[in-house]
Amino acid sequence: MDAALLEQMLLGALLALSVYLPLRCGQLSLATPGFYAVGGYVAALLSTRVAAFAGSGATSPLWALVAEMVLGGILAGLIALAIGGPVLQLRGIYLAIATIALVEILRVLNLNLPFTGGAMGIFAIPQPFEQADGYVLFTLVLLALACWLCQRLEVLRLGRAMAAIRDDELAAASVGIDTPRTKLIAFVASAVLAGVTGALAAHFLNAWNARAGSFDASITTLAFVVFGGSRYWLGPVLGGLVLTALPELLRPVGDLRLILFGSVILLGPLFFPQGLVTAERLRGLGALLGRAPQAP
Amino acid sequence: MSVGGLQRVGTGLLTLTLLLAGCASDPGDQPVALAGGVPVGAVLALTGNANVYGQDQKVGLELALQQRNTSGGINGRPLTLALEDSGSDEPGANAAFTLQINRGVLALVGPTLSQQAFSADPIAQRRGVPVVAPSNTADGIPEIGFFISRVSASSAVIAPMAIAQALKMQPGLKRAAVFYAQDDAYSTAETTIFQASLKEKGLEPVTVQRTQLNDQDFQNQISAALREKPDLIVVSLQAVDGGNLIRQLRELGYRGLIVAGNGMNTPNIYPICQKYCDGLLIAQAYSPELDTPANAAFLKAFKAAKGGAIPPQLTAQAYTALQVIGEALVRLDKRQPLAGAPLAAARKQLMQEILAGTYATPLGEIRFTPEGEVIQSQFSVAQVRMDPGGRSGRFALLK
Amino acid sequence: MDLIQILVNGLSVGAVYGLFALGYTLVFSVLGVINFAHGAVFTLGAYFTYLLIGGAIGANGLMAGFQLPFALPFWGALPLAGLGAALVALLVERVAFRPLRRRRADPLLALITSLGAGVILVNLIQLLVGAESYAIPTSVLGGLPASFPLLGARVRTVQALLLGVAVLLLALLSLWLEGSRNGRGLQAVAEDPETAQLLGIDSTAMVRLAFGLSGFLAGVAGGLVGLSVSIAGPYFGIGYGLKGLAVLVLGGLGSVPGAVLGGLIVGLAEAFVPADWSGYKDAVSYGFLFLVLLLRPRGLLGRPLPTKV
Repeated sequence: MDAALLEQMLLGALLALSVYLPLRCGQLSLATPGFYAVGGYVAALLSTRVAAFAGSGATSPLWALVAEMVLGGILAGLIALAIGGPVLQLRGIYLAIATIALVEILRVLNLNLPFTGGAMGIFAIPQPFEQADGYVLFTLVLLALACWLCQRLEVLRLGRAMAAIRDDELAAASVGIDTPRTKLIAFVASAVLAGVTGALAAHFLNAWNARAGSFDASITTLAFVVFGGSRYWLGPVLGGLVLTALPELLRPVGDLRLILFGSVILLGPLFFPQGLVTAERLRGLGALLGRAPQAP
Repeated sequence: MSVGGLQRVGTGLLTLTLLLAGCASDPGDQPVALAGGVPVGAVLALTGNANVYGQDQKVGLELALQQRNTSGGINGRPLTLALEDSGSDEPGANAAFTLQINRGVLALVGPTLSQQAFSADPIAQRRGVPVVAPSNTADGIPEIGFFISRVSASSAVIAPMAIAQALKMQPGLKRAAVFYAQDDAYSTAETTIFQASLKEKGLEPVTVQRTQLNDQDFQNQISAALREKPDLIVVSLQAVDGGNLIRQLRELGYRGLIVAGNGMNTPNIYPICQKYCDGLLIAQAYSPELDTPANAAFLKAFKAAKGGAIPPQLTAQAYTALQVIGEALVRLDKRQPLAGAPLAAARKQLMQEILAGTYATPLGEIRFTPEGEVIQSQFSVAQVRMDPGGRSGRFALLK
Repeated sequence: MDLIQILVNGLSVGAVYGLFALGYTLVFSVLGVINFAHGAVFTLGAYFTYLLIGGAIGANGLMAGFQLPFALPFWGALPLAGLGAALVALLVERVAFRPLRRRRADPLLALITSLGAGVILVNLIQLLVGAESYAIPTSVLGGLPASFPLLGARVRTVQALLLGVAVLLLALLSLWLEGSRNGRGLQAVAEDPETAQLLGIDSTAMVRLAFGLSGFLAGVAGGLVGLSVSIAGPYFGIGYGLKGLAVLVLGGLGSVPGAVLGGLIVGLAEAFVPADWSGYKDAVSYGFLFLVLLLRPRGLLGRPLPTKV
């Protein structure tokens, strides 16, 4: 397995976590690719238009990458904050469709705005790392941080409030949980993570255009979460890694590649309706690792 | 599940990822692997919504491979081609490029779309692998670096020729309307050239209509354009959207001249605009009616493989790309045998050899600028002539 | 621009959206979930029509050169293509929907399984008949002119036909839903599957019926749209899947008349975008969708918000 594919997989895992966060409090938001695209444009524009961000050496400075990720995350988060209030009043499939509409609106804006490079997009994005290995290490740190935060949610009050809303929103509200605020926090966190990931991905992919955030990507990232399982953060991470790698690993079958890929997507949820990662399997794995299991 | 347990699983997963990451190796410092033949790779959009371009290009590569290997291969060794699908997106192109480079190919043909090229070509450039692009027409592709070249001319020369031809046929043209797909890199690049060329000839466009690559109904744009009473319509679209636009223009009563760019230089337009394709002027980077030995050989091979049909421009350009690499390999190997040469050095020498040569191809005679931009000697303008019944036709060369 | 021409243009695009959405909404009304394989079934309907009128497969794909030994007239081929598409839709229901229903799994999963079915169908089409375009020749309309004048505007004949068929199918479907036993059963299951079960309605049979009908409608729509704009390869119908979502919501998810109305509204909204702003055309329809969702989440003709996801 080469480092470039691994990096792609790690980016997939991060996007899956971004879809997972709202789903953790029962909100089916498919806006992740839209925020991902926004974050990518922030990085692409800063690093190609601002000399300090491009640096003068063979590689662009690491601080610039981190700054772009922060700014990309902030911009995505602000957009989410602005629209989150009204949008999150929608439920279920209505919320999903509204967020798909949002992704499309962002795509059309990205295509038409005077500074985003139109259909061609922005290219010759400078590289902060000489090789894919550098990206992998950096992204692993980011993913580990994201996973750690998700793990903290399991014990934090906020995380429990999110779980309560997922299980029963009315009941959660009746025991005093501020449901609109909790949902908004999850939505904004999801957007920030997607924006940060986009900023990193823009460098890794060398070029960025409006195709980065599309309807197809919305459904693909949802598949990551459904496939891996939406109960624990480990599920989306696994789903993102596996489903990103799968089309590449299926290359030996040639023309049948995407037919097999489609079959996996079709059969996965039929055989694993809870996703690959479930409470029982986690317990089994925990036992395997030599620790007495506890109920989640 | 306990916090500790989850963390343990997480740590395990991360360690596993790190281990996997460590397994990659760069074959650049090893000798060229010639055991199975001389390895060359191609990356095409065989799936996804650009699949029809990849399908046409694949045919060209297969024919060029066959041609090279029946005429001696690379000085007795067969040329081998590893073809990988990029899908129609950027991550797919990058993955396929990386895979091919790690396999130790000497050069790459691809990727299909300009947007993919901006993403994947820098990888080849950084790793020192020659790329001959068969279909990227956007500005700035050869400028990505020394290792990036293309055989697909941008429309800079052809577009003005087509406008000139239209004016030659109808000197009184006054009002030009322009159509292009704003989300397609080829289309946006070509329309800029068309519009500049129109202005130069004193035909400032009376209206510029934007469409989307996936649009199939153009009545809004057509009514807006026809209100300006144009007598010339200039289209930079691909086969499907362009074909539908032309059909609808004619059905809605437009009778004037229509000039189309490179994207419609393919018989794939026949089933779309059918009898309404007739009379369309096309700016061609490849003319099936070009009378040279190289094109005759290509046409013969194409007809043998695909029946009586006419090859699309994309097929001819893909054929040319592999032909260029093959001929450069033959020359390089004669001068400095590939056997035993370190891969990285061989790749660099091959790029120099590609840029140094002159090639008799189906596109006519071509060579390259030091940057890797193609210099093509023959361009042409053709007029589509449909058979009665509107199922098939030909691209009649206009002198 | 003339108001009439804008209306004609909007109805022309809208008729296609409405035709596509008819079958899309039928499945939603019964299952409360979007069938992402609908676009692929629509595409198949177009290919079936092409084959039935005697079309030959091109030089690529496993079926290269294949041609049926007979050729039907277009209006005979269309319902048969619809039946073929209905069979495929039933197959999709069998593999991607029924196992989930039986296990009472989260309906969300059907988004992914139907996506998988769609991916399989699209790539299977490419494997069999290649990626090239196919024409349903304009000559099947016989001596009809390509377009005709209407109150100073110009109308493409084939688009007028599409609109007519969309309205006709809508009328027939509505009559059937209201007037027949099965139609009322279908509606009962759509309202409340559990009560329907208590009333002795076989909900599994009704779901199958909905898929069969939806496939038939998709197939007929595919053939008709193929006649208007040719069959642009295996992704032909997929593009409508996204626009179809906007149409469904605007009309009211699960409302059959709403599907056609939603289609016409989206078409008209696009037609009213000034030509200079045509780059923003898609943003207009989704922006509109966004607003409608926020102001009237049940859509224009929809039922009150369902409590289920």
